[in-house]
Amino acid sequence: MIKIEKRNDVPMALYFFTPFIAIILTILGGGIIFYILGFNPIEALKFYFITPISNLYGFSELLLKATPLCLIAIGLSFCFKSNNWNIGAEGQLTFGAIVGGGVALLFYNQEGFYILPLVITAGAIGGMFFALIPAILKTYFNTNEILVSLMLVYVSKLLLDYLVVGPWSNPEGFNFPETRQFSDSSRMPLLFEGLRIHAGIFLALAAVMLSWFILYKTYLGFQIKVSGLSLKTAKYAGFKGKTMILVVFMISGACAGLAGVGEITGPIGQLHRMISPDYGFTAIIVAFLGRLNPFGIIFASLVVALTYLGAETAQIFLQIPKYTGQVFQGMILFFLLASDYLLFFKVKILNLKKNELRH
Amino acid sequence: MATDLRISNISKIYPGCIANDNVSLQFKSGKIYALLGENGAGKSTLVKILSGVISPDNGEVFLNEKNLKLSSPLNAKKNKIGMVFQHFNLFETLSVFENLSIDANEDNKSLRVRINEIFKKYNFSIDLDVPVLNLSAGQKQKVEIIRCLLRSPKVLIMDEPTSVLTEQETEELFISLKKFCDEGILIIYITHKLKEVLSLCDEVAVMRKGKVVSVSQTQNERVETLANKMVGQKLAKIKKKINISKNKDEIFKVKHLNFYSDDPFETNLVNLNFSVKKGECLGIAGISGNGQNELFQILSGEIIAPDTSIIFRNKEIAKLNPKQRREYLMAFSPEDRISQAAVPELKIYENVALNNFKSSNFFEKGLVNEKKIKEHSKKILSDFSVNTDNVELKSQFLSGGNLQKLILGRELITAPELLICYNPTWGLDVGAINYIHETLIKINDQEKSTILISTDTEELLKLSDRIAVIYKGKLSKIMPSEEVTPGKLGVLMGGGSID
Repeated sequence: MIKIEKRNDVPMALYFFTPFIAIILTILGGGIIFYILGFNPIEALKFYFITPISNLYGFSELLLKATPLCLIAIGLSFCFKSNNWNIGAEGQLTFGAIVGGGVALLFYNQEGFYILPLVITAGAIGGMFFALIPAILKTYFNTNEILVSLMLVYVSKLLLDYLVVGPWSNPEGFNFPETRQFSDSSRMPLLFEGLRIHAGIFLALAAVMLSWFILYKTYLGFQIKVSGLSLKTAKYAGFKGKTMILVVFMISGACAGLAGVGEITGPIGQLHRMISPDYGFTAIIVAFLGRLNPFGIIFASLVVALTYLGAETAQIFLQIPKYTGQVFQGMILFFLLASDYLLFFKVKILNLKKNELRH
Repeated sequence: MATDLRISNISKIYPGCIANDNVSLQFKSGKIYALLGENGAGKSTLVKILSGVISPDNGEVFLNEKNLKLSSPLNAKKNKIGMVFQHFNLFETLSVFENLSIDANEDNKSLRVRINEIFKKYNFSIDLDVPVLNLSAGQKQKVEIIRCLLRSPKVLIMDEPTSVLTEQETEELFISLKKFCDEGILIIYITHKLKEVLSLCDEVAVMRKGKVVSVSQTQNERVETLANKMVGQKLAKIKKKINISKNKDEIFKVKHLNFYSDDPFETNLVNLNFSVKKGECLGIAGISGNGQNELFQILSGEIIAPDTSIIFRNKEIAKLNPKQRREYLMAFSPEDRISQAAVPELKIYENVALNNFKSSNFFEKGLVNEKKIKEHSKKILSDFSVNTDNVELKSQFLSGGNLQKLILGRELITAPELLICYNPTWGLDVGAINYIHETLIKINDQEKSTILISTDTEELLKLSDRIAVIYKGKLSKIMPSEEVTPGKLGVLMGGGSID
């Protein structure tokens, strides 16, 4: 018979080490999958994890993909730490991009230093507003935020679809489902000539610093921590539970909105249907792989960004679909949850016969 | 066939408490037996041993002179001992029939036939194909009982079965139980409700502090005699000097406290009125589950009860949350010290910061003032003799007594005018209990008031100036504690009336 017991004392060092174990197991698991598919696993893994970042361009692409993941995951960490399950960051990202993109389109034929800050602010507000919907429904109507935030993802994606084929589509665009190109004043400044990495990375780094400060040094952070550990205690201490739910959703939505606006003003430069390869969902994995710790999230966003890049290289060199990236992301989450389970619980195998003899 | 169940010298010792101390009892079929006792008297432990959930340290159980090896619930089922717990073990979303068929070893058709036979025999009627969540508490209990009956049990144990039932459902249950008894099933009925013992049972065994203190025929007992046996003629040893004086100000006044809940496991409170004077300790006695949880949460502000007036130091505070009430110098020590009053994963100083009041400056302009919190925590640890001086220690590593000292210390740093405690010494050892009691007496000596909600009658008699009893969400009249005897308390706690 197998008996599962909770461990009383989980060492902190091991708690931050298990994500590495999960990554190693993911790489091993990936190797096995490649072997079964008939590839040389060592070579395939090299294409996946080393080739993409073996030159400066690849490294810039890594940072480019890590930026939105990091921003969204930072926002999500506020929600997850306080027991609010915002699953709809993808929707908040999309809505932020719609609002920010709308402002950028207003100025499509103008130049001015003030345009980009306006666009970015609009994007953050858009994401914030969209996150407020599940938050308000949860606080005042007791709805489940997981369902509401998830369903709103499809609402915002369909809205974007409608806008880019309908009212906002480019009049000179031969009916392609896309808007006009934004003017240069609406674009994120590039950091290096010839590379796509842009100033949005500073937004992500600022979010990391700011979130560390809020979570560990302020009363709001303390309330978030207590509510995440025990809602009963939060109630007993008299924290304003409803206000806190609204605040964490707003922070989370604003971060996702910023990520969205960073994508459209950065590498994309216009609105179309495919502005995000599910960054909003993948960021959930990033947040947990980073242990909801701001600095852990930087590391996790780089690892997960690499699975996006690796999938693209593998598609080119090995002719396997780039959706293997999702397989890797899934494996990371699976192995992380599995090692966490073994971290928090111990499995005992009991010998039944011996037990019966004793009685 | 007659059934004979004999418990012989059963002992079960937990760290710090003897749950069952050499318990021997004998039951014969054809009678309904009551097992009566206060919270913590050892009834549940004994029942869990009989149903195989825990195994005893010592002693044996014999069924028809056959020694039973009750090492698991499965064994108990094989031995035809059925058990209906106070909280139901049903899958809410499955249908009644699915719930019944889960652990049955027969095909659905013959099971349905057998269930229908039971229905006919005992006049039950429940739709077998509705989900369990649509049933009333009484119907759910019937499903549990049917589950036992399907195994044609020899012994049926009912653990506080009426706590969630209405009067009507209780009557129906009693009729069924008497029928089972006539058919030769041995029934053991666990309760703390005295009237039920007298109206239903033939014989009653009273337990107190792990021991069987009396076995008698119910026809020779009255509510008062049973109450005395249950609570014990224990007199408080260090009774504090009574502070009551008629011309002192009332600092806390509750008027028309009403609370209605949809949850069947919560108790509705009906028109509670009471007041507390300066320097006084008001004790609220009662068996647990009679509304104490709800009352504490309303007094602390965790639940805001509509249309209720709570006046504290001449201000209406009924609509304020706990944090706001603290600013008016109230303090609270809830029953659940492990996961509500403190968070086990948080460090000691972080737990201290939970009592964040304005003048503490724990959080200045929204920022954490760690130095200030730690200073304050150190002071609490030494003032309240908690056996550590490490404020970085996680509170899960404190023993119950030390944790309670930390919580009381935290609540008392504001020098509150009113402290509300709910079972402050629950599960503590004697040394810690004495320390907590002395602290509570000291508060009253300093002209501050306390409300003590407790299920421990000894504690209440020792500490209170006036005592009221809460039963099914209603408060008895408030009595000066010198007029209160353990017997009187026992009668009121069991739902009887005095005068």
